[in-house]
Amino acid sequence: MRLHRIRSRSTAVNAAARRLRTVFVVVPCIFMIAMLVLPALNGLVLSFDHDGPSLANYRILFHDSMFLRALANNLLVPFGSVVVEFILGLALALTLTARRNRSALIETAAILPFAIPEIVILTLARYIFMPRGYLNGAIATAGMPALPWLSPRSPLAMLTVIVVDAWHVTPVVMLMLMAGLQTIPDELYEAARLDGAGTFATFRFVTLPMLMPAIVGALILRGIDALRIFSTVLVLTGPEGVPVLSTYSYSLWDDAQKPHEAMAASMILALMVTMIGFGGLLLARRFSREEGALA
Amino acid sequence: MNTPARGDRIECVLQAARVALNAFVLIAATLPLYLLAKQSVTPELETFAWPPHWMPHHLTLAHFISVFAVNELRSAVLRSLGVATISAVIATMLGAMLAHAMARSSFAQRVGFSSVSGIRLLPMIAVAIPLGIILASVGIYDTPSGIGLAIVHAALAIPTAALTLYASFVAIPLEIEEAAWIDGASPLRIFLTIDLPLARASIATALILCFILSWDEFGFALLVQQTNRTLPPLLYYYTVFGNVGPASALALLMMIPAVCVVVALGPSLRGALTAGSSR
Repeated sequence: MRLHRIRSRSTAVNAAARRLRTVFVVVPCIFMIAMLVLPALNGLVLSFDHDGPSLANYRILFHDSMFLRALANNLLVPFGSVVVEFILGLALALTLTARRNRSALIETAAILPFAIPEIVILTLARYIFMPRGYLNGAIATAGMPALPWLSPRSPLAMLTVIVVDAWHVTPVVMLMLMAGLQTIPDELYEAARLDGAGTFATFRFVTLPMLMPAIVGALILRGIDALRIFSTVLVLTGPEGVPVLSTYSYSLWDDAQKPHEAMAASMILALMVTMIGFGGLLLARRFSREEGALA
Repeated sequence: MNTPARGDRIECVLQAARVALNAFVLIAATLPLYLLAKQSVTPELETFAWPPHWMPHHLTLAHFISVFAVNELRSAVLRSLGVATISAVIATMLGAMLAHAMARSSFAQRVGFSSVSGIRLLPMIAVAIPLGIILASVGIYDTPSGIGLAIVHAALAIPTAALTLYASFVAIPLEIEEAAWIDGASPLRIFLTIDLPLARASIATALILCFILSWDEFGFALLVQQTNRTLPPLLYYYTVFGNVGPASALALLMMIPAVCVVVALGPSLRGALTAGSSR
């Protein structure tokens, strides 16, 4: 009898717990959807509005050479940035996890650029790379000709943007790869050593395959973030120096007062990020199923 | 098969590469910060000297004083503090709800994780321009209090808060909750009086991370607070329009919260910080 009371109470409580869980999922999700997804959908609708529904906003974009440059840059800059971040991040992760080289000071120093607010990093980068900045000052002191690091429309400016973008986020890649490296059991290295594997063979046949899930994860996350590049370009070169889709859209909205065209441009960026992001996630899922080891 | 001599040579090269990389990291982390600090205490005329001075010749505190004396700067500091605090509280509350549901049901877990990765796919610019129109129609666009921006930042930070809290809700043994059920506590009461206090360390972490997320956020702040600016867009305008001194002082002040977290609080927070990285 008593047991029966407890059991019926527990089903009632279970129902109540389920109701509470539903509320707990729905409320935050509705909040995020209302603040972030609905505006984007509203923007999608407005991007097809040019004195009535039409594709005119998009047609105008594809006749604008600045837009086409922004589109190309929006692939080149993120690609370059991810490559630089990945190489530096992997080198740092490998050095910092090597047993004889572990140093709290270096580790903190390596993470510091990410702890600094992005806008502060960019302010600093501007003072370093501007025509009469510290870098050219150092070059001049060494007796060599100064370089126009940020000159609009130059490949050099694109390179500067890539390096500065990578500077801020390399620590993220490093931390993700370090987390991956720490999951590799010591026994594998021990076995490789007993089999007579050298440094490179160990890296190639033990570290790299075991690290693959972390590498794929880091590349996808960083790739998605890199596609959305905005402030680096805005602060370093202004919206027209090395235009990317975000800054192009921003200048259409802010300077040219053409909100609907701005939304069309940002929708193309959203489409690009979604396609590349989903492609990456699907690839990662397939990969992790094959390897059976993605966290 | 490697002969010992060849192995030693490779080791030597690798060791040299390690030393070079360490030196590079130290320089990349400290030299720019030194230059920023130098600019914040030198008179502007001297900062514009060519070739640039590597050491300050004259010292001044004028730039730091101006941060608190100039109305525009002082109100931006206060506004940023307010926006970051409000958004951290809202995001942590809603994030705690989501994380708790995620820890207790696999369906909520799927919804939670996919919304977290879905949010990352939205480019800031595609949201911020139409969002400005919506906020304006509700009457909270570009207000002096920055409440509109605080709400946006809260929505952006919910995934970070939820991911930070998720692990600690998973770690709470279900037996504790079952004991409370049997004593007649309602699920909401169990959440408020048992789960939340047990997760208080993670709640503090989530609050700090969400605060920093809002404090650092540039894109939405630039588009939503066009005239009543918060610190990041104000720093942008000061940098671009050549106010080197105040810009440097402002930049140094802006670094304080995040750098404290990474240097003082250390490894446990670092992973969480990267979980919330977004543009």
